[in-house]
Amino acid sequence: MERWSWNKMLKIKKLKKHFGGVRAVDGCNFQIQKGKITALIGPNGSGKTTVFNLISGVLKADSGKIIFNGQDITGKGVSEISNLGVSRLFQQARLFDNLTVRDNLKLAIEDKDTKFWKNLLKGNKLSEDKNERIRNVSELVGIIKLQNNLARNLSYGQKRLVGIARAMLNYHNILILDEPVAGVTPSLRKKISEILSKLRKEGETVLLVEHDMNFTLGLADRVVVIDEGKIIAEGTPKEIKHNPKVLKAYFGR
Amino acid sequence: MIEAYIIHLLILIGIYVILAISLQLSLGFTGLLNLGHIAFFAIGAYTSALLTLNGVPFLIAFILAGIFAMASGFLLSLLTKKLKGDYLALATIAFTYVVYSVALNWTGLTRGPLGLPGISRPSIFGISFSSNLSFLILTLVILLISYLVIKKISTSPFGRVLEAIRDDELATKILGKNTFKMKSYALAISACFAGISGSLYAHYINYIDPSSFTLMQLIPILVIVIVGGLASLRGTIVATVVLILLPEALRFVGMPSSILGPMRQIIYAVILLLILLYRPKGFYGEVELE
Amino acid sequence: MSMNIFVQLLINSLIAGAIYSLVASGFSLIYATSKFIHFAHGATVAFSSYILYFFFSMVGLNFGFSVILSIIFAVLLGLAMNLFVFKQLRRKKTSSVILLIASFALMILLESLILLLFGADVKTIGYIKVQKGLEVFGGIITPLQIVIIVTSIVLLTALFVFMKKTKLGKAMRAVSDNKDVAEIIGISSEKIYSWAFVIGSAIAGIAGILISLEQNLTTTMGTGLMIKGFTGAIIGGIGSVPGAILGSFLLGLAENFGIWFLPSGYKDAIAFVLLFIFLLFRHQGILGIKKGGENE
Repeated sequence: MERWSWNKMLKIKKLKKHFGGVRAVDGCNFQIQKGKITALIGPNGSGKTTVFNLISGVLKADSGKIIFNGQDITGKGVSEISNLGVSRLFQQARLFDNLTVRDNLKLAIEDKDTKFWKNLLKGNKLSEDKNERIRNVSELVGIIKLQNNLARNLSYGQKRLVGIARAMLNYHNILILDEPVAGVTPSLRKKISEILSKLRKEGETVLLVEHDMNFTLGLADRVVVIDEGKIIAEGTPKEIKHNPKVLKAYFGR
Repeated sequence: MIEAYIIHLLILIGIYVILAISLQLSLGFTGLLNLGHIAFFAIGAYTSALLTLNGVPFLIAFILAGIFAMASGFLLSLLTKKLKGDYLALATIAFTYVVYSVALNWTGLTRGPLGLPGISRPSIFGISFSSNLSFLILTLVILLISYLVIKKISTSPFGRVLEAIRDDELATKILGKNTFKMKSYALAISACFAGISGSLYAHYINYIDPSSFTLMQLIPILVIVIVGGLASLRGTIVATVVLILLPEALRFVGMPSSILGPMRQIIYAVILLLILLYRPKGFYGEVELE
Repeated sequence: MSMNIFVQLLINSLIAGAIYSLVASGFSLIYATSKFIHFAHGATVAFSSYILYFFFSMVGLNFGFSVILSIIFAVLLGLAMNLFVFKQLRRKKTSSVILLIASFALMILLESLILLLFGADVKTIGYIKVQKGLEVFGGIITPLQIVIIVTSIVLLTALFVFMKKTKLGKAMRAVSDNKDVAEIIGISSEKIYSWAFVIGSAIAGIAGILISLEQNLTTTMGTGLMIKGFTGAIIGGIGSVPGAILGSFLLGLAENFGIWFLPSGYKDAIAFVLLFIFLLFRHQGILGIKKGGENE
């Protein structure tokens, strides 16, 4: 067992993932601190989404380790990793189109719905405190009026909000958000920024990937910069803004 | 005379509704490309027939038909675990052919192309269901139970997860659900009900042979499920009634029996194509096809 | 097993493989470009056989003309299916599974039409009367069977050369590899699909003619051939025309040597079992490349 520092929630060690000749992730090392918002940034094609896919189990690493809350989760399956506390938001909201918003949220918070006999014989009403959680999160995110709408009838922005709500309601110790504000209106971006600030106030741990520099640098506590599959810098937003390596990666070449 | 004909049609409708709603569970609710459904129907029919022909009481044979079909559902789910899309569809189709081949060639067990004649009408705890009317009542009772069970499953949180899997399996996994287990359950239960409808079929027609269980037999059920609307149980029932009665109407227009068979298939095929082209949600469905 | 029997089985395998590969290659061409499983391809084969029967045995037209008409009808059928059904479905951006189901429906429709128009009894095309078999290395082969094997080799070689050297062939491979990139460089994918149906259906038409001379016509022959055809394509690697050819000949071998050891009723079962095994354990076939991500 690793010697574990109490405030390091996620550790990535020498992570590698190659696709044929492409070295998407090439010996990546970084750590995520508990209770902070960490941003993973980097130019297009630097490997950000691949890292997310590796952490959440969508892809399996070729080598290296991912340690979450002291546990080695490298190579584990998607649902297993989710149940250990990793809650992920995808770039495309990936809602359940033919279900209502409320059902989408119930699926996130419900943990007994895969039990066949229990559901068949006794039926399964959502407990009062779970209902309340859904209410609270829906109000925070601003989707309380959309509960009975079918997910496929929502606008792009509304879908994103439901996606965020769903990620929040899913049991989690860490929220991994893949481009939460991609393609949203400025007012929505502000709203999402507020939601994330509130989460940080409540002690939540967030890892996000974003292209929008202003959004990221204004919100994050810590920034990790990836380029060509390797981490090239880590620090506060202020430090990163002026880091020559980072500037070179984005503007140089 | 007319009465007997109506009872006959109602029995067929009853059996087909059970078969169709069982396919709804795997295809409509869970989004499983289960094109091998006829194989479960066949397994149920043969199991029930062989057991009763060897002295096993109907009720036990009926239940075992469901259980054997369910087990083969689990098996198919396991075998096709890693397949997706076209390959999954093909594998389930191949499964139908494998079961058909076994029925055709394992003559020691199934008498091959000669089939199994003399399957008795059901007799449960001494009550005989040999008249068509009593068989209809039995069918309707079993239909009611099947419908209630499948409805309960589909409206429960378990059913909600199945629908989530249909809409986006990865997103479902991300929420921590064991989707493989869920899909296996869906396929197995779906197969179970197909199996018991097969048992009813065998004990109604009193004779089965492999030709009743080819891929062609899937067409009417597939059309019913799609026309009625994916994940709509009510739509399935309406569609079954319409699609069974429609070709029968041709009989009254004086069409000879030899033409009736292919005509029926042509009608089904055309309806399926039209639905796919112009109204993929079917008539009662809310779910878009794929 | 004596040498004679071995050679005979080999010859039978070649004949079967030749027929299957004619069916499988057209099917694979359509799959490689349009990326869906065109079940009704078997119906194109059957259709062409019955058209030949119609013009030659029923109407009494000259054999050569009848052959040409059959091939033309096969091509027209393929084009019609593409234009009226698949193209319309593609417009709605449906998945390949919907196309599969639609093709399945077309197959049922066409086979039922054949049943309706021609009746359920078995037909023969009496063009070639009785043939004397030739002895080859201890096995017997008829001149027609030699024609079948040679025709398929010639056609398949022509197809191979076409795919490699001609502009259209290369365009087809481009669409098969990456449709989006191909469109960017100006290739119309809809045109390519049409061509794939034309060529594939023409080959299917020729297959139908050869088969109908060698065997009887039955109303379910389309389904039967299609299963063998796509088993061959899956074994060799679906989406690869050389793969389809390789797989078909391997299937021919497996079937004919297989029934040396098993009762002959199991011949079709061998194909189904092989299909199932390959789908489960190596769905990309022998020559195919495994594609795509892992958990997604």
